Amino acid sequence: MEGASYARMPRVKIRELKDDYAKFELRDTDASIANALRRVMIAEVPTIAIDLVEIEVNSSVLNDEFIAHRLGLIPLTSERAMSMRFSRDCDACDGDGQCEFCSVEFHLRVKCMTDQTLDVSSKDLYSSDPSVVPVDFSDPASSDSSESRGVIIVKLRRGQELRLRAIARKGIGKDHAKWSPAATVTFMYEPEIHINEDLMETLTLEEKREWVDSSPTRVFEIDPVTQQVMVVDAEAYSYDDEVLKKAEAMGKPGLVEIIARQDSFIFTVESTGAIKTSQLVLNAIEILKQKLDAVRLSEDTVEADDQFGELGAHMRGG
Amino acid sequence: MVLNHDPSQQPMNGNGGNKVPDDSGFDQRILTAPVKSAVDKFQLLPEFLKVRGLVKQHLDSFNFFVKTEIKKIVRANNLIRASRHPHIYLRFLNVKIRKPSIVDESVTDEVTPQTCRLSDQTYAAPICVDVEYTHGSRDDPRLHRRLNVEIGRMPIMLRSCCCVLYGRDEAELAKLGECPLDPGGYFVIKGTEKVILIQEQLSKNRIIIETDKKGNIAASVTSSTEKIKTKTVIVVENEKFWLHLNQFPKKVPLMVVMKAMGMESDQEVTQMVGRDPRYSYLLLASFEECRKCNVYTQEQALEYLDKMVKRSMYSSNSAEKESRAFSVLRDVFLANVPVDGDNFRTKCIYVAVMMRRIMDAILNKDAMDDKDYVGNKRLELSGQLVSLLFEDLFKSMTTEVKNLTDKMLDKPDKAKNFDISTLLNRTQNIITLGLERTLSTGNFEIKRFRMERKGMTQVLQRLSFIGAMGHMTRVSPQFEKSRKVSGPRALQPSQWGMLCPCDTPEGEACGLVKNLALMTHVTTDEEEAPLISMCYSLGVEDLELLSAEELHTPDSFLVILNGLILGKHRKPLRFANAIRKLRRVGKIGEFVSVFVHNKQHCVYLASDGGRVCRPLVIADKGVSRIKEHHMKELMDGVRTFDDFLRDGLLEYLDVNEENNTLIALYEGDATPETTHIEIEPFTILGVIAGLIPYPHHNQSPRNTYQCAMGKQAMGNIAFNQLRRNDSLLYLLVYPQRPLLTTKTIELVGYDKLGAGQNATVAVMSYSGYDIEDAIVMNKASLDRGFGRCIVMKKYSAVIQKHSNDTSDRILRPNRAADTAGRMRVLDDDGIAAPGEILKPFDIYINKQSPIDTRTPKASAANLPDSAYRSNAQSFKGHGGEVVDRVVLCSDKDKNMCIKFLIRHTRRPELGDKFSSRHGQKGVCGTIVPQEDFPFSEKGICPDLIMNPHGFPSRMTVGKMIELLGGKAGVSCGRFHYGSAFGERSGHADKVEAISETLVSKGFSYSGKDFIYSGITGCPLQAYIFMGPIYYQKLKHMVLDKMHARGSGPRVMLTRQPTEGRARNGGLRVGEMERDCLIAYGASMLIYERLMLSSDPFEVQVCTACGLLGYYNHKLKTGICSYCKNGDKISTMKLPYACKLMIQELQSMNIVPRLKLADA
Repeated sequence: MEGASYARMPRVKIRELKDDYAKFELRDTDASIANALRRVMIAEVPTIAIDLVEIEVNSSVLNDEFIAHRLGLIPLTSERAMSMRFSRDCDACDGDGQCEFCSVEFHLRVKCMTDQTLDVSSKDLYSSDPSVVPVDFSDPASSDSSESRGVIIVKLRRGQELRLRAIARKGIGKDHAKWSPAATVTFMYEPEIHINEDLMETLTLEEKREWVDSSPTRVFEIDPVTQQVMVVDAEAYSYDDEVLKKAEAMGKPGLVEIIARQDSFIFTVESTGAIKTSQLVLNAIEILKQKLDAVRLSEDTVEADDQFGELGAHMRGG
Repeated sequence: MVLNHDPSQQPMNGNGGNKVPDDSGFDQRILTAPVKSAVDKFQLLPEFLKVRGLVKQHLDSFNFFVKTEIKKIVRANNLIRASRHPHIYLRFLNVKIRKPSIVDESVTDEVTPQTCRLSDQTYAAPICVDVEYTHGSRDDPRLHRRLNVEIGRMPIMLRSCCCVLYGRDEAELAKLGECPLDPGGYFVIKGTEKVILIQEQLSKNRIIIETDKKGNIAASVTSSTEKIKTKTVIVVENEKFWLHLNQFPKKVPLMVVMKAMGMESDQEVTQMVGRDPRYSYLLLASFEECRKCNVYTQEQALEYLDKMVKRSMYSSNSAEKESRAFSVLRDVFLANVPVDGDNFRTKCIYVAVMMRRIMDAILNKDAMDDKDYVGNKRLELSGQLVSLLFEDLFKSMTTEVKNLTDKMLDKPDKAKNFDISTLLNRTQNIITLGLERTLSTGNFEIKRFRMERKGMTQVLQRLSFIGAMGHMTRVSPQFEKSRKVSGPRALQPSQWGMLCPCDTPEGEACGLVKNLALMTHVTTDEEEAPLISMCYSLGVEDLELLSAEELHTPDSFLVILNGLILGKHRKPLRFANAIRKLRRVGKIGEFVSVFVHNKQHCVYLASDGGRVCRPLVIADKGVSRIKEHHMKELMDGVRTFDDFLRDGLLEYLDVNEENNTLIALYEGDATPETTHIEIEPFTILGVIAGLIPYPHHNQSPRNTYQCAMGKQAMGNIAFNQLRRNDSLLYLLVYPQRPLLTTKTIELVGYDKLGAGQNATVAVMSYSGYDIEDAIVMNKASLDRGFGRCIVMKKYSAVIQKHSNDTSDRILRPNRAADTAGRMRVLDDDGIAAPGEILKPFDIYINKQSPIDTRTPKASAANLPDSAYRSNAQSFKGHGGEVVDRVVLCSDKDKNMCIKFLIRHTRRPELGDKFSSRHGQKGVCGTIVPQEDFPFSEKGICPDLIMNPHGFPSRMTVGKMIELLGGKAGVSCGRFHYGSAFGERSGHADKVEAISETLVSKGFSYSGKDFIYSGITGCPLQAYIFMGPIYYQKLKHMVLDKMHARGSGPRVMLTRQPTEGRARNGGLRVGEMERDCLIAYGASMLIYERLMLSSDPFEVQVCTACGLLGYYNHKLKTGICSYCKNGDKISTMKLPYACKLMIQELQSMNIVPRLKLADA
């Protein structure tokens, strides 16, 4: 077991962290780990979403399946999700919503009595579990009391009514996108930009400006004092090669050197609101670990050991 | 051919502006004119469509029929007089069409079209007449008057002036259950929406020079008057002129006909044709032919022709009065030319003009007419067709009334107190049923004109909103589709702006079925008499006053109105300009056209119906009459489209008159010769082609493909779509408005009733499941509702009343019985409850029918349960469908009818068909989870991936620009435009501008993105062209098509498996498949496929005689019935079809014998 050289110690540096947005650097690892993390965040971090709808009365303009589909896509706060059971694995019940381990029941009863259109929104959903409620999208910063609006489900005219019971269950994004906690998970290779200062100085200010403007994103800037070109925001660079092409067109190839660092990633994570982004990343790591454990412990791996010898041990993190 | 406006001409009204004295040496108007800034005339278009509407042609023609034509028809046949008692009569004084209504057990209710659709009724209004008639005994009748007597019911075109929807605003329409965006223009017959297609025909009453089958040059005239329709053909054969007319079985020498019409002098004929010696030379042979027939005088000619006339049935009674040839010449020969008494001079001149045109064609082949030229075509619209039909039915009604009158008067008891007007009530059905039947079957049968046409009406396509629109602008061809000529199918230069160059079907009807362009208007008939008198007062010299010699003097032009020669004019240009001026100030109809034909030395005026025309901006010496302030007034709502017409800023031009103009595309292009300026270039396209963004960047056939596919796209059908009861309805769950729109889209309302979704498309190859135009789709997008659709299907059940007063019944389901599982969805009333989810074989109506429906029963109402058998209808579907609505109504036989609307929500699956708006269709090849999809560092992940091989050969550059424009649109928050040819006028965004927007939003100018693979996390090796494209889901879905069978039903006759999915049929191993297997040598497989899996049959064959025997079950042996024994019987297997053939041959006295050898 001298494979310790394969092991690396990835580092994470958090740049920005909000409930629904996170940006962090992941260093000293490779694309496979970064991508595994991304994929797990999208598809395998569990959340809770409405999965079964029993409609009692629906005289709205939208039909039952339509409303059921919309209900399913409403994000529910899912801090509990990690500790809940999948209803298919739940021994205590048959997943009918009565069981506290695997499901949450919701009720919706709205009837429009006025001449104005009534917006039925996620605010009208009443949960049996106060920890699992539709995500509140109102901005906490703007504390004005004007009704914070939820996700609109349907609009009702006078006399129309919607009455239903819905059961939310735990699930993962792989089964249906409604269980995916991530709105956006993406990463990029960290660019490393080296300006060839000597060559740069051969350019006139006009040329410099032209060169700087050739990038569709604002990566470079000219220092108003020294009139030198500097990198202001390397990450704004979208690997579009425009500046390289421009440099070549100006007859100055090698004006700038841009390398994508293979071991350093900048992650951007946006959450649907179901889980806080911090939790989302942690859960993802947790699930990734579980998956690796599953691989390690599975009999296939033991068999593989015989075949591949040491390699199998590395796969198990040895 | 350009015709300069008279230099002295000034605009007739003050609005023309810029009046400059002409005495300066140069044209001051051009020099002093401000630098041309193109006035944006686009705003005229919505205004035009507001006034005229998209299906205004139909509405106009129907309104014309209802307001004018029907009165004419009734006035022309207004008297019914008893034949033996002429003092007993009935006279129609007035006719009108009242409000649409239905009569239900003598209670009349006003109806809306929506109620008619839902309850399978005809949306029709009573036709009421005021009558004056005799009343009382046969010998001493008194005169009476009755008002508003109903003579029948007329189906009403929606949104026409008789319709309850006429002039309603949006809110009122909504109250009536009608979609405000629905254009109308169709009928509701027995609950189905029927469109009368626009029929394309060759113009009537015009001389057409063509070559006949033998290559001879002929001039033909199809005359059409109220009384008769005839075809006259003058042909040159063996250098002589002949006449073909149906009344003459053989061709007749034309000069004899001329003589018969009183032109006895050959010299006069020559003069009439023209004194050019070349003409006289060509006429020579014909004169000689006449001499050969020994015809010199009118009498001789008539005598000669009398012999030639076809003997008809009633020859006896007309022969005595006058020569039959004479009446044929008067009434049939060139029937459109009126004959005043027995003065045939006008007809002679007409014939002379025909001869002259033929001789022109002989001398110069250019003078031939092009049958495919749009100016030689007329479009027959619903109003004209309904009017023909009504006239026929009205006449048969009056004859029926007359016959009944005669019958009644012959019976003394009835004749005592005889009221002729009561007969009108009895004959109502002739008109009502006649109209209804014709409109619902589409088979027009008009005996009088021997017209028999099939497929004139069609059920309005309601698959998509745009499909319905396209259906209403469709023009169906005159020829049958099988003809293998390319001429009529080719794109005609003259259809510019009138007929859409893109929108035509593929395949056999290609190029024959056409569609109107956006601004096309089809004229209706206009009164001729005032025009004629106006022409004379404008200096047209009457024919009557001209000698034959004077007719064709070189500097004078013949003036021809609607094919009728009025006279000649010495200053044709001045005459034409005068008429144009009068038209522009509104003194004569706006659709009257003047066309100076320089080659034929004729001025053609037209006021007849069915001409296609379009509005154009008038320009004086290349300066548009529409100025900035006009458009401002239009925007402010002070000025309407009609004001533009009235003020002489715009005018309608038909195809012929366009030949006298020079039309500039844009104001900037105008030269001093320019007479008109286009309003907007994209109006060259029709409604459907107008949906394509940047069509001018695409390869032309791609636009045509899109025109066919746009009609199959799912989306919203109408605002009232959920209240409709269509038998099949495809809806999209989340339809969107295209990010890249065109002006046409906004004009027709496609942005409100879209049929597609904006999908983020990555153009790259992925997974190999995207070959041959297949599309890779993102599973998460599908989860979130992309391409989700609702399919609604109608099932119905009728509670039949039987002849013995028994009737079907619906039973409350027995919840305890063993069928209770299948009865799960039923309510207590025995009918499926709305909202229930259906499984295959669920019963949706628990109906029972009496076993005996023939023999009369005493207690028909309460039969015992044993007298009924179950007739429950069970659901055959996929499972997961939901009962959407249940409608109870009574059908036409007053039986209760129960309609079930079954809804099925489907998400896209493998094999569903999608297409962009550029004729690029493809099926879903695979569905991939989101995490495997590529992503950009901005976090963008495409909805679908399209293979780049779709581009090089298709050359749909428009799609690429759509992607760019869409991407710029989403990033800057403005809908971008891509109207056809719109870059110059600002109705299409230029690629440069789009690229600038992209760059300013941090994208590459090229629309390509740097993308990471979702599977490995590594960057892709190439930049990927990615952005939103509007995608349509087409109605072809795998769920409706997939089919397989193990064992199943067989055809009775051959015992082979049935054919087709609907009958759960087998998949055929055809001859070609069989050939492959033979070549391969897979004999056992062939044996298994062709016999064992098909129709194996065991037969007894007598090896002695070779005939088939039978198996005797008692004796347990085979017996040959020919040899009368079972000695040499062998048993063998045979396809049943083979046994059948042997027996069928035997029945025809052919004896097939089987010779068996040991195997």
